[in-house]
Formats: sequence, C-alpha cells, structure tokens
Amino acid sequence: MTSLKRPRTADPSSLALSSRVYVRSTKSGKVQKIVREVYLRDDIPCSSRLCSTCLLNSLEGYNKQAPKPKLSDQPARTGAYTNGHYLVPDTNAFLSAMDVFEVESAFKDVVVLQTVLEEVKNRSLPLYNRLVSLTRNDDKRFYVFFNEFRKETHVERGTGESINDRNDRAVRKVVAWYQAHLQQEIKGSKKKAKLPTIVMLSDDKENVKKAKSEGLDAVPLKEYISTLPDATTLLDMVSESDKTRTGGPKAVYPEHYTMSKMLTGIKAGTLHQGIFNVSNYNALEGSVHVPAFERALLILGRENSNRAVSGDTVVVEVLPKAQWKTPSSQAIDEETLAKDDDAEAEGETVFSERERRLLNDEVKRVHGSTLEGKPQPTARVVGVIKRNWRQYVGHVDGSSIRVAEKQNRAQQMVFLIPMDKRIPKIRIRTRQAGELVGKRLLVTIDSWERDSRYPVGHFVRSLGEVESKEAETEALLLEYDVQYRPFPKTVLDCLPQEGHDWKVPTSKEDPGWRGRKDLRDLLVCSIDPPSCQDIDDALHAKPLPNGNFEVGVHIADVSNFVRPNNAMDKEASMRGTTVYLVDKRIDMLPMLLGTDLCSLKPYVERFAFSVVWELTPDAQIVGTNFTKSVIRSREAFSYERAQLRIDDEGQQDELTQGMRSLLMLSKKLKQQRMDNGALNLASPEVKVQTESETSDPVDVQQKQLLDTNSLVEEFMLLANISVARKVYEVYPQIALLRRHAAPPRSNFEELQNQLKVRKGMELRTDSSKAVADSLDTCVDPKQPFFNTLVRILATRCMMSAEYFCSGEYTYPEFKHYGLASEIYTHFTSPIRRYADLEVHRQLAAAIDYETLDASLHSRTKLDAVCKNINVRHRNAQHAGRASVEYYVGQALKGRDIEEDGFVMRVFSNGFIVFVPRFGVESLIRLRDLATPEPHGTYDADEYVLTISGSRSATIALFEMVRVRIWDEKEASTGKRKVKMSLL
Amino acid sequence: MPTQASINAQAQVFLSPAELSYLHSSLTLNPAIRPDGRSSTQFRPLVAEADILSNANGSARVCFADGTEAVAGVKIEVEKTQDAWKAADAALDVDDGEEYEEGRGSRRKADLSEDVWVETHVEIPGYREDDALPVFLAGILTEALLASGELKQRLFINRRFHWKLYVDILLLSQPLSYPLPLLSLTTHLALLSARVPLLISQGEEDPLFSDDWAAATLLYPRTGAVAGDKPPITLLVVTIGENIIFDPSKDELAVAESVVAVSLDEPSISPAARSGKQKANPQSRRNLRLLSLRTIDPPSHLTSSGVPTSLGMETGADDFGTAATSSEAIVAREGLDRGEVWSPPRGGLKRNMVVKIIKECTSEEGVGQEVIRALAAVG
Repeated sequence: MTSLKRPRTADPSSLALSSRVYVRSTKSGKVQKIVREVYLRDDIPCSSRLCSTCLLNSLEGYNKQAPKPKLSDQPARTGAYTNGHYLVPDTNAFLSAMDVFEVESAFKDVVVLQTVLEEVKNRSLPLYNRLVSLTRNDDKRFYVFFNEFRKETHVERGTGESINDRNDRAVRKVVAWYQAHLQQEIKGSKKKAKLPTIVMLSDDKENVKKAKSEGLDAVPLKEYISTLPDATTLLDMVSESDKTRTGGPKAVYPEHYTMSKMLTGIKAGTLHQGIFNVSNYNALEGSVHVPAFERALLILGRENSNRAVSGDTVVVEVLPKAQWKTPSSQAIDEETLAKDDDAEAEGETVFSERERRLLNDEVKRVHGSTLEGKPQPTARVVGVIKRNWRQYVGHVDGSSIRVAEKQNRAQQMVFLIPMDKRIPKIRIRTRQAGELVGKRLLVTIDSWERDSRYPVGHFVRSLGEVESKEAETEALLLEYDVQYRPFPKTVLDCLPQEGHDWKVPTSKEDPGWRGRKDLRDLLVCSIDPPSCQDIDDALHAKPLPNGNFEVGVHIADVSNFVRPNNAMDKEASMRGTTVYLVDKRIDMLPMLLGTDLCSLKPYVERFAFSVVWELTPDAQIVGTNFTKSVIRSREAFSYERAQLRIDDEGQQDELTQGMRSLLMLSKKLKQQRMDNGALNLASPEVKVQTESETSDPVDVQQKQLLDTNSLVEEFMLLANISVARKVYEVYPQIALLRRHAAPPRSNFEELQNQLKVRKGMELRTDSSKAVADSLDTCVDPKQPFFNTLVRILATRCMMSAEYFCSGEYTYPEFKHYGLASEIYTHFTSPIRRYADLEVHRQLAAAIDYETLDASLHSRTKLDAVCKNINVRHRNAQHAGRASVEYYVGQALKGRDIEEDGFVMRVFSNGFIVFVPRFGVESLIRLRDLATPEPHGTYDADEYVLTISGSRSATIALFEMVRVRIWDEKEASTGKRKVKMSLL
Repeated sequence: MPTQASINAQAQVFLSPAELSYLHSSLTLNPAIRPDGRSSTQFRPLVAEADILSNANGSARVCFADGTEAVAGVKIEVEKTQDAWKAADAALDVDDGEEYEEGRGSRRKADLSEDVWVETHVEIPGYREDDALPVFLAGILTEALLASGELKQRLFINRRFHWKLYVDILLLSQPLSYPLPLLSLTTHLALLSARVPLLISQGEEDPLFSDDWAAATLLYPRTGAVAGDKPPITLLVVTIGENIIFDPSKDELAVAESVVAVSLDEPSISPAARSGKQKANPQSRRNLRLLSLRTIDPPSHLTSSGVPTSLGMETGADDFGTAATSSEAIVAREGLDRGEVWSPPRGGLKRNMVVKIIKECTSEEGVGQEVIRALAAVG
C-alpha cells in the first residue's frame, strides 16, 4: 500500500494567506480551537516621513485622507546613533519600563509592533491602556505598526518554537525590514536625508545577542537608558524584576494555589473569594468578607495574608476552629513593626520576634469569654485572583538608607513607607537615595515573590518636599484617585460658544424655551455656605388662597448644557463628583458651567429644573409638579445671613416672609422624618480657617449648625424623595436611585456591649427607629459630648449608602436606612454630582420634556455608572477628610495645647483619643507615655487599661481625659504628625 | 449479520453468469488470480492526507482507487462526566419497592455514559442522516472505537471531566462499493492526527488548558508513555473457495462466497513489557488484537444463477412456452445438482476460514500491521 501527501506550499494563494491558531477557554468551561485567517497585505505604511512610497500606497482614512506619517524625518540623535534613531521595543521593555516611556524628554519616534501591543494587553491591561494613550499622544510619536498583516514582516511560527521566541523573531524581522525599507527609500529619493538607525530595545539578553548576530542594532533597555541625560532618575523608574535572582534564600511565604485549583475550590465551596482589607489600626490583621459567612473572616499575620495587599481580590481557606481568634487588641502599624528591618536583606523569616510576641498575645485572648472575645473564624490566603495594585504615595524610610550622600550614585535598596497605613512597606532600588529623603514619592509595586518579606517596587516620580502644600495636595489626590488634571480641549469644546456672555434667550420662541415654565416672577432665593460659587439650588414659598403653601425647589439645569455622551459628559461621568479640599476644589464640570452658566446666581435669569409642591400648613404634600423653568434668584444668602434675616422682626417683605414659611414647614418636615425613625448621626466636622491670601491655616473651628442649614436640607430631601418616586414610577427598571442598607446586627455588637459594660446603657438595633430612640437616651449629664461620641461611633457601624439601578434590587431593598425613607435619589446637586445629572435626564424624560438617551436605557451601562460614582463618591469623601486632617496638623504647627479628649478605643498597648475641638483622633501608645515603657494590663471584659510601672493611670473607654497636643516632626522622614500625650 | 442496509450499499452487479463464473473460478485457484493482477493480500493504491482541516482537532482525507473518497473530521470538547459510579452505588443501596426501577435506570445510565463519550456521524450523499446505512456504519465504527476501552482512558481528564469525541465522516463520492473500509481508514488517520489542548491543571481540579495550540498533545501519541496504541481499523475480507482476498474490488465482491468486516487495533504495550525487550525496539511489529468480526451478506447472494434457458425465468422463457414449469425450474435451481453456469454462493463462513482470516489479519507480519504502518507514514 502506498500513500501520498500533498505538499502544502504548492498552493500559490497561500502566499497572501496565513492563519493563527490558538485555544480559547470560555467561561462556561468549553475549550475551543480557534483558527483566524490572516490576510497579508503590502499597503501597511511604515509611517516614516522619510518614506514616500508608503504614503502613496497607503489607504485613505475615513476623512478621505491618508493618515499622516508619524515618525519624524529628523529623529533624536544620541552619541551612539549620530544619524538619529527609531526605537523598536519588545514586550518586556514596555512591561518593565512603561514609566520611562511616558517621560516627556526622551523616547520619541517609537515603533510599537502589533505583536508587542497584543502581548502587553495579555500581560497587563492597565499597562496596555497606558501604551495606547501614549500612541495617541502626538508629541511622543509612537506609531503602531501592524506587522502581522504586512507581507514582508509576517512571521510563521516554526515547529517546536515557543511563542516568545516567535514574537522575538517577529520583532527582529521588523527591525530588519525597516532598515532595508528606509535604506532603499533614501537611496531612491533625491533628498539628502540621513538614514536613521533602527534600534531594537529589549530586556532579553538572548534576543539582543541574536539581533546583533543578524547584523541589527540592538541594545539592552538599561544600557540604552543609561546613555540618556538624567539617567539615574530614569533608571529608577524601570521596574524591578527579581527573576535574575536564582537559588537565593529560601521562600518565606507559601506558594499560591494554581488558578484552576482555586476556581475548583470556590465552586466546591471549600475556598472563598473576597476582597482583602487590612485593618486601619493593625497592619497585621486583615479581613475578607465572603458571602458564605455573616462576619468577615480574619486573616492574622503575614504568613496567613501570604503577600496579599489591601484591595486585592483573594481566595482564602478557612482555618480549623481551633485556630479561630478574636480581633486583635493591639494597635500595630507598619512603621514601628519592622523598624529594624534591613531593606537589602532578603527576609529570612516571616516573623520578627516582635511580631511573634504580638500574635501570641492574641492567642491568649481567645480564652476571654466576653462577647467581644468570642473567637471569629480565621482564614489564610491561598492565592490572589486579581491584584489591585495602584500607584502609592509615600516617603522613604530614612533609617533604611545606608549611604545618604547625594553624590553617591551607588544603587541601594530602601524602604518606602506608604501613606496608606494598610499597605506594607515597599522595597525600591534607587541610585538617588540621598535626594529622595524627605520627598513625597509616587511608586508602584512590581512584584512580591515568595522569598521576599516585602513587595518590590520602583520609583515613578517625586511630588516634592514632604509637607509642602503642593506635594501634599497632589499626594492626596493621587492616593484617592481623583482626576485633577485640567479639562482637555475636547471637553472645553462642548461648552456654549458664548462663554460667560450666555444669557437666557429673550425671545420665548427660542428652542431653549420649549417646554419651560416662566417662573421669573417668583421670589426665589438661595441659601448656601458663605462664598459658595456653584449654587445648585434655590427655594421659594408663597401662601396660597386656600391656606396651603406653594413651595418650590429650583435646581440648576445642568442637563441642558451637558448632553449625553459628548466628551464633557464622559469626563463628568468619569470624575463622578466634585472634590472639595480645604483650599481647593476639583470640579466635575468646567468652571464656566459650574460657577456661572448653571449656577443659580442672584439677580440673573437662569435655566432651572423645578419641583413645586402644594403643602398644607402641617407640611403634608397635596400635589407635586415637576417642570423645567426659568427663574431669577432675588438673593444669595449664606446660612448665617439667612438666619439673621429671618430672626430680624423688622424685615417684613415678601421674600423674608417666604423664608419664614419655609423654616416653619421645614421644622415640621424634620419632625415627621424623625417620627419615622430617621437617624441623627454625627461625624466630627471641623472647619479650617485660612488666611485669605496664602491660604495657610490659622485656626480650627467646629462647624456650627443653624436652623437654616436644616431648612435647606429638609427641602432637598423632600425634593429627592419626590423625584425618586416619579422616576421609579415611570422607569421601574432603570431608575437611578440611592439606597442605604440596614446594617447587619453584628456590626453593632461591639458598641452595644461597650455601652452596656461601661455605662449601663442599652442600644437597640432592631430598626432605625429603635436606634434613633436609644441613641437619644445615651446621655451622660456629666459629659455633654458623650452623646455625640456615641453617635460618631454608631455612624461607623453603618453601611455606606450607594447608588444603584432600580432593576438590581426589589422595592423593599430600596430603603434608605439613615433617612428612614422608602425610596431616595440624588437630584439637587447636578453641578457637583454626576448621579444628579443622570437623574435630571431621567426625570426630564419622565415628564416628556425630552426623550431618554439610549445610554440611560441600558441597565448594564447604568450599573457601570453607579459602580464608578459610588467609588468616586467614597474617594472624594476620604480625600476631603484627609485634607482637613492635614490642615489641622498644619494649624497646630508649633503649638502645644491642652485639650479635653475622649477615649474611643482601648488596646492592650495603647488607646485612641478623640479631641472634639479639632476633630482629630490619635493613638497614644504606652511607650510614648514614659520611658521605660510602662506596663499595661488590659481588661478586655471591662475595657479598662491599667497602666503601672514608670507611669500609673487607668484608662477606661468613653472616659474624658486631658491630653497635651503638639506636633512632631519625625527625624527620619521629616513627616509632621499630630502627637498626643496624657496629662 | 446481513441487514437491509448492507444490501443497499451494494452497487448492482452487472455481470453475466458466464463472467461471474469465470471470475469465481480464477479466484479459487491457488494462488488466486485477481482481475487486476494483485496478490491476494495486496491493496490497491490509495491517496491519503492527514490534518487537512485547520478548524478541526484532527482530520484526514482518503481516496480509494475505485474513485470513492471520504473526509473525516474529529472535534474534541470538554464535557462534565455524569457521576455514573455514584449513581450505580446509590442504586445498590436502595432496598425498598422502587429498587427495581431505580436500579435499572441508574445502571443503564452508567452504561450509557461510557458510550456517549464518542459520537460518530456518517454522511453519505443521497441518504438522510437517519437512514439505516449511515446509522449502521456509524454504529460499527463507534463499536470498534470503544471496543478496547483504551480510548476511554485517553479521553479521561479527571473523575469529573472527560473529553467528548465527535467523529464526522463525509463520503464525498457515491457508495460504489461497500464503504466501511474507506470510512474506517479515514477515521483512523483523522484520529492519529487529532490533538487535544494541553492540560495545565492537576488532579481533580476543574480542567484548565494552555492557550497555545502548538503545545496541544496528540490523542494517540507517537512516542511516550502510551505510545503504540493506535486507533482501530476495519478491513473488508472476502473468501472465495479456500482463498482469502483483501481489499476486494467491486467485481470480486460480486463473486465472494462470504464477506467479513474485521476490526483490529494495536494494543498498547504494557508497562512491564515495555521495560523489557520491547524497550529496545519500540517500532518492532506486534500482533494485532481482534476487536470484532462480523459477516456481511455478500452481494453475490443477490446474483441470479445462470440456469440453462430451458429452466430460466429470467430470460422470459415462460412467455414463449418453451420453458419447463416454474416448479421444475425452482427445483432445478435449488437442487444440489448444479448443471448451470453460475450459481450464487450459499451458506456461511467455514470455521477453518475464520481461523485463517484472523491469523492473516493479526499476525506480526500480517495485513493489518501493514495497513497500520502505511497509514502511520501519512502522518
């Protein structure tokens, strides 16, 4: 029997046709062989300005014009490449040095291969997005060359060749082709241009060697960077790969499970997936909330947290019951924990002696029998599904630097202590250690190998001196991921062309007037904090002949200016909210809209979205009407001035009468709300007074609350609730609402027990009404602040409110726990919150003013919007708080004050004191009280810490203590901290 | 097991009794003289190529000399294993009234679950997919695939998952002669070239695979742990007199006394044997294993006997009144005394012939090995 086989190359059509084969695993578990045909072409341009052939051949774009060549005809020259050079980096170059490529001064005229781009995408999506945005930056001249589709540069994978080898070969082939192509081009043209060198950049020695043997120009990445000016800074920005290290010390952490093992375990219910959170007080204690357990699983110690960083999505395994523990009674932070660590040393042990002692303490406590001491399930991390590493702001630990002279360029490992206490120290290798001390730095984590105690990262850039206002503000914004760059041109193009001269059209025939009510005759006024520029809301009230009142809430009509899906809308939806810092406001919308065209400024006509009710004198709603309108505000009051005007009996004009009616009604509304069980929660709010010129902080004050504050608040709540009802009625599936889930009872357990033990008080938590009522009874006549303290603590037990799309939950789950309202949304601040803007659009469609945009019809899209604004909202709050905290610290600079404070929490080695005067809380450690460290005995059942030895005192929870407050500059870091000590 | 299907597959024989008789007598000679001059074990040349469809996990095309041509594609998917053992165990524990019903059900399920790992589908132009012939052919092929149980071990991923094998065979030409060998050889080749994605998870985990197709492993590896085992082949053998003839042509089938479909495979080397002398020469020829042997109703049974005109009905003698009575004719035809030119063969396969066939097929130097080695060369 004979057999024949047809040779494959015989087919002439195969020259222009190739294919790519790979295996695709689908979510449902299917595994498919995928074959993609690749049609090879010869009209993919090289995009060099030196080349005219490609320009002739290239296809027209959508605008009937061939795309302009990107690569310069006079590329940058260096010592080695006197004719100028184009760079062709391979994948690893981008992966390890994306920060360097983003530098403005170097790395121009870069050819990004399709092969490389795809590989980067597979390896890291964030890096891919950064690379794509680099290719869009016209100054950098990064050109994406689709080498896989160009006939000459297409590479077939050889038999037995690994994918990496094949891709490396593809890069080399492109380099060779570019060289030959441009050479031919220059020879052919009459122009006297010099042939630029095509340089391959690679981290892979083997690849560089091969390229050189093929007669190509290739340099290792680091070698190339070191020839650039400012090389030391740039070299520090290359990420640290530990792969070069072989053998080395033994692993200190257990290996992570394979992905398949984790997924199987999760499906089978033996492993659990959740987000890893580290406690604010204890860097060694993490928790993971998983659906299978009501209470969060505790992760104690570094070995159990197994290289997880706060925010990562991890897979955990629950430990046997014998190892269940109570949450720690110790306050531990990263900085003190391992002060004696050597950054250069590769960790030999996971646990330092100190850590071990701390953990032992906890095991002892398990035997405690209080409710708080009830052991909680513990778990250990067995793998990480998704890292949530971002860029971290921090400062170099001065004590970890060996050679601090600025001249010394020796490379050394130093520790970076992140601002976020929950993040472990990061080891970075730097040549500029001397310069980095005392600077705020931005770094990223590159990896965390098994044999290293701490993650390894690299330097990105320096923000400036620690404690300088610019550096600290930028640090804050970076840390909370606030987009603070100026609005791009595409966004500004969406603004009305008239600019500040824009006016409400005079002619009622104008399309702007379509469907709008003329409410210019109403006596509308606005009440806001002093010097408020972005006035969202205005109010009016007038008596009706039947004895009822007509009350109107008028909200800036932002949706009239921000059309769905244009660049401005996209930017706003990304920013989500305006962020208020003490001295700075980062706007969601460009200034022109926020502070002028939309802002309901007094004495001018403005477009508004009005909610008008008829209320009985008992503040019962008789009727509600929603309409787009035009209003003219008569006056913009500050809370104080409004209060004065109302209180002034001499003022009897209609506007003041209206305000009095509003105040009267608002008090009744508030009473109704309280009767329904709305919570009166408290958070410490202080105001930083700044000097007007330099905005240096001068003093700190507690915010005062006036009747007029709650006047505005009540009507805003009423408007929000009315709007929520209307939108939900018309769009039951896609209404954007806001909910506040009832907190699980376990959240309150600790506080309940503390109150019972310390004060004999009972906190009932069956409903929000019960909570509200029992909070009212928590009063200590000797300590007027005690009630507020309990409210602050209770607030911390609550869930956070969130935006959602009504289709995601059932009606009973819409409930807003804190406001005791069945349904709620945000409608009243569209200038500073994106959610309100979306609700405006939905309401406008609900009243048939306009049609609903498609993006608001899609539940998935709305869901994505909600998720984003929830995160942004939270970040904005944190950033605002952190800013206040920083300024409080600055205001206290150089002062030494005695104040009253309250013990908020007691640990076995310290306690937390809250000072209402400044709204600061701070940990006072036993070893800060006296030297040698006094001995502390902590009675966990009674929440009492008895200090003896070099200093004796008794610290009990909720007690008032007199503390000394001063600020201290840490010698090692130059970081200023508010310090407290017991008097 | 003659069926209607097998009969349908035969192209009609258009040979005169004299021609049939001539063929028959030359084929009974020792050695047999075949019309095309081949030796009795010689195959006609065929054209074969493997791995022709890039979308399939494995594929092949085979053209026989008589112009018949088939393409086979193998598709392999991950499938969750029905928990057959557990179900069977549970059934044994049941002791109340429902035992009988349930027990039967579970056991049936267990049995079924083994068969459903392989699904074969044959498409023949002019036939519906639920026609008897394609279903019957697919059944024979599946049976041969599953017979040794070794394929199942290859398809086993872990206790909860297995590969499911889909074999789709398309006959491109009319079924001129009995197409079973063609389909079988095409399937054999396609399976030889079939690859499965490389498993990167371990043990009882949910399977996870490498996305690199080049890393995919052969379902029947040429070397390595389970080398040696080959997919089964099914050959058609005819006996005429004392002769055994392989790869019968259409004419030879028309005079065959019996037709036998023999399914064979090469058993995998046991680990013990491999470590012994086999290790030195893994390519050494080995005996094949007989998987199944089934007789097929030969088309020669349908030929009409060449009775003298005086007795013939075919010639329409009745009409001319010259013929004997029909009962006489029947007696003459059924009778042992065959005075005629050609009589269709009758009866089954003789026992000694069965032994001979098996020997010829399975021996180290036999036809089966030759075919398997020739196909392996196509690769």
